[in-house]
Amino acid sequence: MKKYLILFGGLALLSAGCTKLDEKLNSELTRDEAQQILKANQLLQAAYNSMQGPFQDQARLWCLQEHTTDEAVGPTRAGDWDDNGIWRVLHQHTWDADHSFITSTYNDLLGVVFNATNVLNFKPSVQETAEAKFIRAYVMYTILDGWNQVPIREPGEDLRNPSKVLTGTAALDFIISELNAALPGLPNTGPIFKANKNAARALLMRCYLNKAVIANRASPSHAAADMNKVISLADTIIGTSTYMLTPSVFDNFTPNNDVTGKGIIFAIQNLGGSLSGNIRSRWFCTLHYNQTPSGWNGFTTLGDFYDKYEAADTRRNTNYPGLQAATGLNMGFLFGQQFDKNGAALQDRRGNNLAFTKAVSLIETGNNLEITGIRVIKYVPDLASGDNVNNDAVLIRFEDVILMKAEAILRGGTATSGVPAPYNTPLNIVNAIRTRSNATPLTSVTLDQLLDERGREFVWEGLRRSDLIRFGKFLQPTSLRTTNSTATRLLFPIPNGQLAVNPNLKQNPGY
Amino acid sequence: MTLTKLARAIMLSMVCLLVFANVSQAQSRTVTGKVTDSKGEAIPSATVTVKGTQSSTSTGADGSFSLNVPAGSNTLVISSVGYTTQEVNISGRNEIAIILEQSNAALNEVVVVGYGTARKRDLTGSVTKITAKDFNTGAIVAPDQLIQGKVPGVQVLATNGAPGAAFTVRIRGNNSIRAGSQPLFVLDGVPLDGRTARPELNASGIGSSPANNPLNFINPDDIASIEVLKDASAAAIYGSRGANGVIMITTKRGNVGKPTIDFSTAVGTSSILRNIEVMNGDQYRNALKTYNLTKGNYGGNVNAMDAITRNVLLQNHSLSMSGGSDGARYRASIGFFDQNGILLKSDFKKYTAAFMGNFKFLDSKKLGLDVSLFTTNIQENVAPVTNNAGFQGSLVINALQWNPTLSLMNGDKIRQSTNDPNVAATTVNPLALSRYYNDKIGLNKIFVVASPYYTFNKKFEYRANVSLTQETGTRRAWMSRLINIDGVKGQGWASLGEAGIQTYLFNQTLTYRTDLTKKLNLNALIGYEFMDLKFRRNNQLYRGFGIDEFDYTKLINSAAQVVANEGSSYEDPTTQLQSYFTRVGLNYDDKYLFTATIRSDGSTKFGDNFRYGIFPSFAARWNLHNESFLAGNKVINQLALRLGWGITGNQEFPSGAARERYAYTAGGGAALLNAANPDLQWESSTTLNVGLDFATANNKVTGTIDYFRRNTNKLLFNFEVIQPAPPGSRIWQNLDGTIINSGVELGIFYNMINKKDVAFDLGVNATFLQNDFQNYSGPQILTGALHGQGVSGASVQQMRNGLPLNAFFTRKWTGLDASGNNKFDQNEKLQYVGNPNPKTLLGFSTDLRYKKFSFRTNWNGAFGHDIYNNTFNSVLNVSNLQSERNIASVFVGGPKESLTNPASPSSRYLEKGGFLRFTNATISYAFGNVGKVFKNVNLSLTGQNLAVFTKFKGFDPEVNVDKQINGVSSFGIEYAPYPSARNFLLGLRVSL
Repeated sequence: MKKYLILFGGLALLSAGCTKLDEKLNSELTRDEAQQILKANQLLQAAYNSMQGPFQDQARLWCLQEHTTDEAVGPTRAGDWDDNGIWRVLHQHTWDADHSFITSTYNDLLGVVFNATNVLNFKPSVQETAEAKFIRAYVMYTILDGWNQVPIREPGEDLRNPSKVLTGTAALDFIISELNAALPGLPNTGPIFKANKNAARALLMRCYLNKAVIANRASPSHAAADMNKVISLADTIIGTSTYMLTPSVFDNFTPNNDVTGKGIIFAIQNLGGSLSGNIRSRWFCTLHYNQTPSGWNGFTTLGDFYDKYEAADTRRNTNYPGLQAATGLNMGFLFGQQFDKNGAALQDRRGNNLAFTKAVSLIETGNNLEITGIRVIKYVPDLASGDNVNNDAVLIRFEDVILMKAEAILRGGTATSGVPAPYNTPLNIVNAIRTRSNATPLTSVTLDQLLDERGREFVWEGLRRSDLIRFGKFLQPTSLRTTNSTATRLLFPIPNGQLAVNPNLKQNPGY
Repeated sequence: MTLTKLARAIMLSMVCLLVFANVSQAQSRTVTGKVTDSKGEAIPSATVTVKGTQSSTSTGADGSFSLNVPAGSNTLVISSVGYTTQEVNISGRNEIAIILEQSNAALNEVVVVGYGTARKRDLTGSVTKITAKDFNTGAIVAPDQLIQGKVPGVQVLATNGAPGAAFTVRIRGNNSIRAGSQPLFVLDGVPLDGRTARPELNASGIGSSPANNPLNFINPDDIASIEVLKDASAAAIYGSRGANGVIMITTKRGNVGKPTIDFSTAVGTSSILRNIEVMNGDQYRNALKTYNLTKGNYGGNVNAMDAITRNVLLQNHSLSMSGGSDGARYRASIGFFDQNGILLKSDFKKYTAAFMGNFKFLDSKKLGLDVSLFTTNIQENVAPVTNNAGFQGSLVINALQWNPTLSLMNGDKIRQSTNDPNVAATTVNPLALSRYYNDKIGLNKIFVVASPYYTFNKKFEYRANVSLTQETGTRRAWMSRLINIDGVKGQGWASLGEAGIQTYLFNQTLTYRTDLTKKLNLNALIGYEFMDLKFRRNNQLYRGFGIDEFDYTKLINSAAQVVANEGSSYEDPTTQLQSYFTRVGLNYDDKYLFTATIRSDGSTKFGDNFRYGIFPSFAARWNLHNESFLAGNKVINQLALRLGWGITGNQEFPSGAARERYAYTAGGGAALLNAANPDLQWESSTTLNVGLDFATANNKVTGTIDYFRRNTNKLLFNFEVIQPAPPGSRIWQNLDGTIINSGVELGIFYNMINKKDVAFDLGVNATFLQNDFQNYSGPQILTGALHGQGVSGASVQQMRNGLPLNAFFTRKWTGLDASGNNKFDQNEKLQYVGNPNPKTLLGFSTDLRYKKFSFRTNWNGAFGHDIYNNTFNSVLNVSNLQSERNIASVFVGGPKESLTNPASPSSRYLEKGGFLRFTNATISYAFGNVGKVFKNVNLSLTGQNLAVFTKFKGFDPEVNVDKQINGVSSFGIEYAPYPSARNFLLGLRVSL
């Protein structure tokens, strides 16, 4: 009997320890807590901030849009910048579905889509809804442009379920309808890093201008009706008189470009010293070690692209106020001998004169391998903020709006009458942009010339690949890619990782 | 409480206990004596009992005892684990010498198993016990080093050579695709957390510093034995944490008898074991000539590795006091370990104080209390050596790369690009880095276990364990603005880090033993366990100091000098575990034994739908030597067959992984961080074990052979999430796929010579392992990130179906073409080129005694695997000649490599990892008692890490630099780690 008493007592004791497991998250919030405590504007802020990564880092969208074109190349310099050939295959058009930058860009962009969608789950106001939809539309358009397949979820969906995938024109229609729905809720003006009506209009312009491209990238056939929509949206933006062609194009790229950038319609905010994307990589990736700021001696442009500029074009080379005294640098393209801030000639690490050459190869082999290739300085280096620089990352600017209008007219759209010069005709528009930068005005303008002008104006801003595709020139050789690429390269591959987990995705043809 | 105060408190409590223990006993005669083995060595802790009475004592460290014998009693019974019990007639004698014969030594041993003990001969599972006398010797910081190369099936691998560095411990192969393959460590019955509060650091421009061993807080001198539970039958009682095996650490206890003081001291030296062959000044000049390079020769002959390494002293002292009566035994110890690192400005100091007490209360002695208390203070200076240094390197990289023709110093100035045109802008002088980098760590840990128990009767015993851990670590690091590193140069950098761990554990067990029939014995246990683990950390970064050299961490309050600071703090989601377990053992006539265990584990880590998991095991043992057909067999003294099967789990993944978690983000935002998976559960390993225990040649040869096969399923993995999903997130899932580890392990002990003056023992263990990843159809899982210039974003290992885990998957290098550039197989196609998992592990030890001299050696090795040399790939390639940096000697002399040959990761940098290490050797002389005061005086000379025989060209083939990607652990990659040291120690042991 005693035996059983002990056993019973023991069991009672053991079960007395029984407790409900406590699941405190401590530094974080559960879904229920989040629903009670968090406000939509906080989720919206996170959505804006999550754009910093994919749109600014050199190893994300930027390199996919630039290294694949005639504007940029990342040469291997002996032990430096080989990185397993990851840059090289971009320029050679030989990337595959495991390319880690393509994969990360796709995933990071979709991360923004998620964050923007999740705002809708937190009882947003009309304006917050509109802003979230704008962000989502902007990023979805970017994905559509690169991959043609855009996964999307309803707010609050179980993330273990495969997401729905919108493809091609259906995706574009969705983006257009979302933008139209958002427009009334967006503010007329505001800081450049918040969604506004003009930003939505400019994005709608991109949608219509590229509608035929998205329907058939290999041979688009533009509809006049779409072009007219582009023109009318441009006219609305012009009519708000919010923007101007700043005296120097580089005014839009200064460390305080939220103030000086009078041409910026939408940008991603970077807070100097505290919260920034990697926009500093625009100058770090290209400057030589011995320059100020000391760079990573990587990317260059091609000689052919440099030759598209006239010698006096300030977009090619400008002594921008204050910069030389602090760094010895000019804005624009760095070609030939480079100097320090005191005017002394610089050398590379091997004792060669630091004189950048036009000639550049995908794999450098000579003793001059540190100095090959012309360097490009688009953003005015922020020397005051450490690693977190203050330059906002420009996504849409007024110059793009007016050049899109010019293009739409050249592609068969009808210019609205009554719009005052210079934003009325393609020639006036192009010449307004050219004269601002001290380039000789043209006497007439063709689509090819317009493409060149877009190249000169938007070099290294991450638009080139899309432009070349729209103009049918993306597959053509460059000086470092000797053969035509196949139409496969008009799209990036769906990353193998996503393909494996989401049955609604299909690999793009040719991969 | 300061350490001195703590030590004082412990002393005080010891004095109280002494008084308590020495209450005089009844009047009668006193018999003294000494118990030795057949070799004349003292047997401590032997029990001496007056036959037919309660009067008993234990022998001290020198084997002596003193016992009150009631009038009329004339027989003593002397027993000790591993020896045949002896009765001695003492009529007319008050002083006796007793020699105990060794019994079937290994099989009679008592081993610690989960929540109890068992006789080794009753074991149904695969358990290896190593006792203190067989531990490795030398400068040992943490317990896992003690058994390196000693246990069949266990690989113990230093991640790098720094004092206190973390060890990778793998029991029977790699069991997990993520960083969660360490075994569970259990200290005095308490399962440990496995983390440390040593704050991590990612130093600006240099990278993340490697982790240290979470077991550093234990003083190895306090450990009595280490048991390794290898198969499911042994480990399943630990349920969801048993899949990687369990290592049980049992501390020394006081023995009944006079108080004894044991003192051991060792002083020694450390120096670098091996160097990586880079060129000297003359070779470098020749290489420049070969390549027609005109720049880069500054005329000198400099060895920069010599400049950052040094020969240093180490010391290790332990003092313990132990003794007590039957009702109150105690042991208190203090220890001081001090090892200077062989790299400049690195050292490791450890102060430990421990108290273990075993108390019995009530007249019946039925109520008892066992306590253990460990307090540790660790202080470190850390050298700037990191796992993932980028193009500006780390201390070792900068030294390896330094141009050997250029002196590091120019007069009394350290050459830097800022003061010397001969130094390239991006080159970091290793002496400058050493001088301008400062990194101090302080770690305090208190660990307490109290185990009250009550023995109801011969059949029932109740026992509880209550344990608390409090660990805090601080880390203060700063770099002078004089250092030529991006982000630091001109502005300075300081980091203040702090971390804390709090653990609470409660368990209770009820055991029941009975003879069901005359021959059938039942041994049952039921238990409950609850654990609560908390981890928090915070870190502040500051830049922009206006002073060149001053401990920046001390002037952060001066706002005028600080322009930017970045901070972070985080507390992990609380982890709680609640478990119920039971074990039933049946023994029929010592011939047939059967054990079954079941554990049910609930964990906050698991998803809502799988809160509790069940982990069963069954095992049987057949003692053939007890069968009539083997009785009296002259050849086979022992023969037993074991068969076990069971399921164990693994839940080493971050808390909160299964749950939807929102967080406040930078710039006033808030966002979802983690996707929920309510179906998330433990990883499950099913193990089959067949074992044979044997003894032959008059018990001179004993051994075990085990075959095992462990299939791990429901692989826990931080997997690709279906987009759109939170930025940068992954989702924790149980993947379909099976990791198979199978193999054979054997351990043989041969007592070859056993004479009065001469004895020789040989121990050998070997393991043959195979690792395979099967039934997986998902996307490739990448790991093994490379770092350094030119390899950004590259990785060299993959988890792929049909290959071993961590298979090296790279281009296959086929040599250099005519122009000196790489040639690759099949147009640069990535392919399976190597396996980092050893196929064979080997360990052996010898023990030779001649009179009072003894000479012991330990060896260990691993064979049949590859190591990726990231150092050669990105740090020392030929192209460095153009940027005036040094290169590995191996890259010249063969076909001329082009200076512009890209540093493409490939099989070129894969090396055979096989090695045999002369782990340690100790020669000692036993003086015995010196005078009346000093007992058991023993003088020894130990060489540790004497030699390593290998073709591998890095510092040490035993290396495992952490190169994980997304939490998927890497294995077998070397990247300019902290070099290994060779130590010599002169040691003295003495008892009072």
